[in-house]
Amino acid sequence: MSGIERLADRPIAMSPAAIEEEFTRIWRETSAAGADDSSIRLRTLNFVGVGPETWTVERFERVMDSLPQRHPCRGVLAVTSPDRHGLEASISAHCWRTSTGGRHVCSEEVVLRAGMEDAHALASTVLALLVPELPLTVWVIGAIDLEAHVIGELIDGAETVFVDTADAPDLAVALRSLLDAHRRHDVAICDLAWRRLGVWRSLVAQFFDGDEGLRRLTQLQAFEVVGGTGVSSEMLLMAGWFISRLGLSLAEVTRGTDSLTATLYDGSRGVSLKLSSGVTEPARIREVKVRTSEAEFVVQTHPESNHMHVREEWPGDSDRRTVEQVPIDDASVVAEALDDASDLPVFIEAAQAALALLRD
Amino acid sequence: MTLKEAAVNPLRAGMRVNRAADSCAVVVFGATGDLTARKLMPALYNLARERLLPGGFSVVGFARRDWTDEQFRAVMKEGVAKFSREPLQEELWESFARGLHYVSGTFDDAQAYARLGERLGKQDHAHGSAGNRLFYLATPPDAYAMIAQRLGEARLATPQQGSWTRLVIEKPYGRDLPSARQLDSSIGQVFRERFIYRIDHYLGKETVQNIMVFRFGNGIFEPVWNRRYVDNVQVSVAETVGVEGRGGYYEESGALRDMVQNHLMQVLALVAMEPVASFRGDAVRDEKAKVFHAIKPIEDVSRDTVRAQYSAGAILGQMVPGYREETGVAPDSRTETYTAMKLEVENWRWSGVPFYLRVGKRMPKRATEVAITFKTAPLQLFRQMGGDNPTPNLLVLRIQPDEGISLRFGAKVPGTRYDVRPVNMDFRYGSSFGVAPPEAYERLLLDAMLGDSTLFTRWDGVEAAWELLTPVLDAWADGASPIKQYEAGSWGPDAAREMIERDGRDWHRM
Repeated sequence: MSGIERLADRPIAMSPAAIEEEFTRIWRETSAAGADDSSIRLRTLNFVGVGPETWTVERFERVMDSLPQRHPCRGVLAVTSPDRHGLEASISAHCWRTSTGGRHVCSEEVVLRAGMEDAHALASTVLALLVPELPLTVWVIGAIDLEAHVIGELIDGAETVFVDTADAPDLAVALRSLLDAHRRHDVAICDLAWRRLGVWRSLVAQFFDGDEGLRRLTQLQAFEVVGGTGVSSEMLLMAGWFISRLGLSLAEVTRGTDSLTATLYDGSRGVSLKLSSGVTEPARIREVKVRTSEAEFVVQTHPESNHMHVREEWPGDSDRRTVEQVPIDDASVVAEALDDASDLPVFIEAAQAALALLRD
Repeated sequence: MTLKEAAVNPLRAGMRVNRAADSCAVVVFGATGDLTARKLMPALYNLARERLLPGGFSVVGFARRDWTDEQFRAVMKEGVAKFSREPLQEELWESFARGLHYVSGTFDDAQAYARLGERLGKQDHAHGSAGNRLFYLATPPDAYAMIAQRLGEARLATPQQGSWTRLVIEKPYGRDLPSARQLDSSIGQVFRERFIYRIDHYLGKETVQNIMVFRFGNGIFEPVWNRRYVDNVQVSVAETVGVEGRGGYYEESGALRDMVQNHLMQVLALVAMEPVASFRGDAVRDEKAKVFHAIKPIEDVSRDTVRAQYSAGAILGQMVPGYREETGVAPDSRTETYTAMKLEVENWRWSGVPFYLRVGKRMPKRATEVAITFKTAPLQLFRQMGGDNPTPNLLVLRIQPDEGISLRFGAKVPGTRYDVRPVNMDFRYGSSFGVAPPEAYERLLLDAMLGDSTLFTRWDGVEAAWELLTPVLDAWADGASPIKQYEAGSWGPDAAREMIERDGRDWHRM
């Protein structure tokens, strides 16, 4: 499929009716230009981004540059800025050609900008712009304050809320906020940091597949995660996932500046947990290691390629293989999560366990 | 619960692949052939790329040519580079290719099977494949029984304690009912039915699987999916290609054996079957078998079937030769490159609804579709008011290319009259999902490794299809429905049009 083209990008009066009228005009102009019989307008969801203007717009638009090809949507971004007064809106249309048939497929985007004193008006404008009968996904970009006025209003009607705990200045506060919102709003919470772990989790799980793998579970000795600077949300969620899935209990947590160690218990058997920093930026996971009494499993990212190296060693032999790292840019992770969000209960338990690591 | 009691991998919870294939070795018989390089190896490579293959996975190619492991890897690499849906990545290939091995031998050479056994034993140790074997017969069909027999004699068909052995077989499964039964009997002496995986790659296609999702994942279609509302069903496969240098093979096969007995019958079964309560075990295959058994034998082959061959003509503006002028085809060949037939599913749901099947080579365009025409509204209200007579609703499931679904319905033309014009609601996979679906072989190979036989054909279904179609082949051999000619680039012979027009219907225009 070829890249996306923006048909129009123009400022417009801040009124839902005016915005809808302008979209109608764009589609009419497109038809008049002769593209009518080969263009379709497609929307399968409402995708709403909310956050501070400073760095939200660019991030949201990068996602909108590819997401509609996989999930055709109406994108609405609502941002606030202390430097701004009043409300503004701009709209654009995105079109791309499908690989077969040469048809244009088009979707829409609205950006709403408000000063802090007008933030209260944003939620109602966003709600008026939603395409009826389509699911609503809200992406809270930046700090996670799910009870803020605009966000709270939107979450009430949303099916899914995206956040990225990697952005959170205080992870414990962010996790508590997520768990609380999940309980209070009955909404699916999807953490992009968690979704970026998908490939790591699936490779670790593979080590415990089959009868031999189940035997290894009973021989666990150590679980280690190495990341970039500091103990990141991804490292904590990875550990939280491992702890919660295996039903391990937690004791003896020691936190340093760039590391965290703990002892996990399966019954009376201890398993050591270590989260430590590597030397590289950014704070993505670089290596996960699992040790049992008879075997060792290591998966590492390749610093210069998008590949991951997997090494398994057991008495007398070893297996090495290279696998592809999946894309972890926001657009790919969001698209993937919209395809399949069935791991919510697993995430909630992993987040609870990660929170316990921070608390204990 | 402590980890001692875990019966399934708890780390798989919530994952899209919630059950992983066991470590195993895939043994490909006919490893130097076209199918292996063109389909199987690219599929396995893509499964590896997507991390869907288990650790300790390996492949052993088995064929007559005297190749080394290195030669086998080099040829397979070329195949993957040329035919994989995703570009070959050198580093991933190197990792994948370490698990590729080759054993040279003829299919009847018992010594070669002994060498194969030794190699597999070594791999169990080196790769940890735990004695699990998937034998894949990518060979000419006349070798199937021999290979199964030799595997049995070499004790390779019997799994070791705690491991499994499965056999994957390509179509065609026999060339008529007696030969299919003979083949099944030979293979059945070595492998039990539940370990036999008969591949019909149509069932691995996303859009074929979507027939079930469309019917059973939506509430609004199933209530009208029956004789009260459906007028007729048409399953059509049109190809623009001819025999593509495989005239010798095609002479022994023909459109009925090559396409109808397997692909079209499977699609028909998915359209006609009853809803299943689950996807466990044999539920889908049980329901499909009931459909096959409900199809009424064709009593008048001359009336209800048509066969034809393409003559010279033009495809997309290019002149092409007639079938009898193709290499490897006899000048007086009577092999059909086109067939059309009318079937009736005699059960509570479908009694009285004709199912028309047609398949042909050298058609004007490539398309595979299921077209379901609904009965018209009981009262022609708008004709009474001076408007048009509405055309019946038509639901088209497009299997390839431009995969999707469209529904035709009548809409009022703006104006003062009640003029009704047919319009289409159109869903296209390419527009709505934007991700390339996996190749059919990827899904099917993974399912075979997982031990999920839902998308493979079962003997009773194969046998029922042959029971229905062998009398047609016999009648044709006796001169019923004499073979017609149709010009390459046309939609088939007049006889096919006449067959459906006798029922007051037309072929759906593709």
